[in-house]
Amino acid sequence: MDFKLLVRFQDVHLRYGSGPDVLHQVNLTLAPGSFHFMVGPSGAGKSSLLRLMYLAHRPSSGRLSIFGRDVSQQDRKELTMLRRRIGIIFQDFRLLDHLTALENVALPLTITGQSLDKVRRNVSELLSWVGLADYLDAKPPTLSGGQQQRVAIARAVIARPSLLLADEPTGNLDDKIAERLLFLFEELNKRGTTIVVASHNEGLVNRFNHPVFKIVNGEVRLIRNQQNSPVTPTAENM
Amino acid sequence: MFGNKNDVPLDRDASSRFLPWLIAMMVYLATMSLIIAITMNKLANRWDQGLSSSLTIQIPAEPSAEKRRTLEKQLKTFITKIENLDNISRVEQLNDTELNKLMEPWLGKDILLHDLPIPYLISIELDSSSAKTIDEIKLILAQDIPNASVDDHQRWLGNLLGLTKIIQIIALLVVILVGGAAALMVILVTRMGLAIHRQVVELFHHMGAHDSYIASRFQFHALKLSIVGGLSGLLLAGITVASFSSLLGQANSAILPTLTFTSGEWGLLLLMPLSASLIAMMTARLTVLRSLALMP
Ligand SMILES: Nc1ncnc2c1ncn2[C@@H]1O[C@H](COP(=O)(O)OP(=O)(O)OP(=O)(O)O)[C@@H](O)[C@H]1O
Ligand SMILES: [Mg+2]
Repeated sequence: MDFKLLVRFQDVHLRYGSGPDVLHQVNLTLAPGSFHFMVGPSGAGKSSLLRLMYLAHRPSSGRLSIFGRDVSQQDRKELTMLRRRIGIIFQDFRLLDHLTALENVALPLTITGQSLDKVRRNVSELLSWVGLADYLDAKPPTLSGGQQQRVAIARAVIARPSLLLADEPTGNLDDKIAERLLFLFEELNKRGTTIVVASHNEGLVNRFNHPVFKIVNGEVRLIRNQQNSPVTPTAENM
Repeated sequence: MFGNKNDVPLDRDASSRFLPWLIAMMVYLATMSLIIAITMNKLANRWDQGLSSSLTIQIPAEPSAEKRRTLEKQLKTFITKIENLDNISRVEQLNDTELNKLMEPWLGKDILLHDLPIPYLISIELDSSSAKTIDEIKLILAQDIPNASVDDHQRWLGNLLGLTKIIQIIALLVVILVGGAAALMVILVTRMGLAIHRQVVELFHHMGAHDSYIASRFQFHALKLSIVGGLSGLLLAGITVASFSSLLGQANSAILPTLTFTSGEWGLLLLMPLSASLIAMMTARLTVLRSLALMP
């Protein structure tokens, strides 16, 4: 990789329409292979920050670089290619009810024009890995919440993204299943995927040894470092 | 290269049911208008030929017997001259009996013709319609019998031809308007589809689908529906024409047109469903691309 930072926010502001700043003066960086949590109360701007990262929104001002590229300098085709390197797990999964689990997971590949037949084997292997070998042809409405979530995760990682963004992936799961899910993310992280998990469940977050960003009043702060030690505020991480 | 073809479930939309019908009606309208235009064109050509290849010359009657004799001599010379022109199939001076027949409706049967000053009428028919021949005849006439008047049916024909032109223009206008209406309809249907499947479209966009990939889903959907609709419309038009032409065949009238088409005209008719499908496809594509352009 010809860049040291996978994601870089420089004085980024975000507001919707003519409203107030939802995110204010954001400066943060993600190194390749890192694993971060993002916490903050409801409405703090976690989803907004993730949407900036998966290029669903443009910063109102400031500079945002993904994979070493200034987002504002990229044309439409280049942005599309950047998006293909990002896996997203939505809080509400956003599975397509008319497609089978296998077809859903294959989407990131088929939307690039690959035929379903060509990717079928890879996809079923991944579905087996998340424990859904018997549900390849099941439609999402017939799956349990936890099973749907695993389909959503498989879909997010099938194209081997460099960056995996998870928005409240543990939202409506009980703590035990949520914990298992996070172990799965750690597994992916060990294989080189950079991960950001947004969650309002700070208790769960505290059980894992990963740096944590907290959004308060539109400002993003690193509140905890890798060694599970609270960060003493410095100019660097403010 | 087409990914998973049913990833946007457009087939289940209501549009899938009503768009083919709308397209069928529009193609039917357009095809029928085009048939009217073609037929009017043929009719105009036929009338043009039939009427401008004949003319009637009228010479006012002479009351004095002596002058009448000179005039009749002049007429004979004139007729000979005309007969010697090229492109003349028949020159005939209408005789008293024929004149009587012509006058009967106005004057009644019992009036004796030679009691009244009746004009002389000469009818000329040409082999083929030719402005040149008609001009030659008029020139000779002006020299030999200056007080004669010529009726070459041009004014009457002119009005009639003008009418067929207007009908043709209106028919073509209908074709264009129907095309525009079809495009508007497809825009509406596509926007509806985009609204219904907004989540899917956004998802694909975030996953890194090219705009053209997303557009292709809508564009082939519109193409499929409009081919079905277009061909049905053409078939319906074909049935209409077939039943009309069998009716006209029974009437067997010289003035009415025949509903047969050359291969070029068939091609033009086939162009209606084809262009409807193309319009639908391109409109759907552009509509989707325009709405995707609003996404960052
Ligand atoms: N599309 C939008 N248009 C206008 N305002 C928005 C939009 N999306 C989010 N907001 C506002 O931005 C703020 C941050 O919202 P966001 O969804 O990022 O919060 P969040 O931290 O993800 O909250 P939660 O934990 O409830 O998911 C909120 O005040 C919200 O009302
Ligand atoms: Mg949120």
